[in-house]
Amino acid sequence: MEAISLPAEEVMHIGSVVITNSFTATVLSSLIIIFVAFLIRWKAGVIPTRMQVAFEMVLEFFLLQLTTSLGGNEKRARKILPFILTIFLIIALSNQFFLLPLVGAFVTDHGHHLFRVPTSDYSFTIAFAVLVIVLSHVLAFCISPINHINNFFRFRSFLKIRKFSDIPNAFIDFFLGLLEGIGEFAKIISLATRLFGNIFSGEVIIIIVSGLMFYTQFLVPIPFYLLGMLAGLVQAFVFSILSLLFISATIRNAEHGH
Amino acid sequence: MDAESVKVMAAALCMAFGAAAAAIGESWIATKAMDGMARNPEVSDKLFTNMIVAMAITESNSIYALVISLIILFVS
Repeated sequence: MEAISLPAEEVMHIGSVVITNSFTATVLSSLIIIFVAFLIRWKAGVIPTRMQVAFEMVLEFFLLQLTTSLGGNEKRARKILPFILTIFLIIALSNQFFLLPLVGAFVTDHGHHLFRVPTSDYSFTIAFAVLVIVLSHVLAFCISPINHINNFFRFRSFLKIRKFSDIPNAFIDFFLGLLEGIGEFAKIISLATRLFGNIFSGEVIIIIVSGLMFYTQFLVPIPFYLLGMLAGLVQAFVFSILSLLFISATIRNAEHGH
Repeated sequence: MDAESVKVMAAALCMAFGAAAAAIGESWIATKAMDGMARNPEVSDKLFTNMIVAMAITESNSIYALVISLIILFVS
């Protein structure tokens, strides 16, 4: 049976920087996305090609979702849309990375694979989750700084005290704000772990099934590959929809205040 | 019992309870969404998207259990 390792394996180092196999796979999938983007742009026109129709449908869908969750502000939605679409494209392609021919055949001197599905590395998913949450806070802070800080450190609730019985309520409100700050860290962990767990468990199932005995190496893993493809698409969709919802919810909370 | 067999049993129990709870939750979501779609077929597209997102959020609990059992098994 192939070895199952939770962290990504080291392929080489340049100086003191370690290059892991998930990093090489990420670079390869980014190059594929850039190539496809140029290909579609080159053939795009008033009479759309099939690929152009497919990508325009994805774009329209995300634009509609973003506009409705931002409360009908289409100008702002168009500014945030490229970020969400980039996340969707790179994760959707990375999840299907094992379908590319020959990528499993490259092996380094130490016996590690040269490429590994990027989303089955925890650092990839946690980097994306941190990026999404930090970006949502930066955007909300730029739109209305005082309201946004007041959502987490609710000093304003102390100013509302008019009579003696309001004091406990003010303290409860203040601690609820602090709890929401902890909730932001929980969002990062849940967003990253969901994607990582789904993709990594799919890989582990395939390795276990094909390593079970000699006869299960050939036809038996195919249904599990199909299941992995489906889970990859659904998880890419869910990750981008959730990051869209997080960003728009943070912005709207900052706009309306508490 | 030695430490190794306790580890395996802990991983199995963790995954078993996590999967059972997530299965109950997801089936509840699917039931309610199907009810809604049958009553009002026009909104079925919107309901389907929301159903997928809600299912993924519910499923994440069992995914946490999975990650913890994977860590118990494979990280020494």
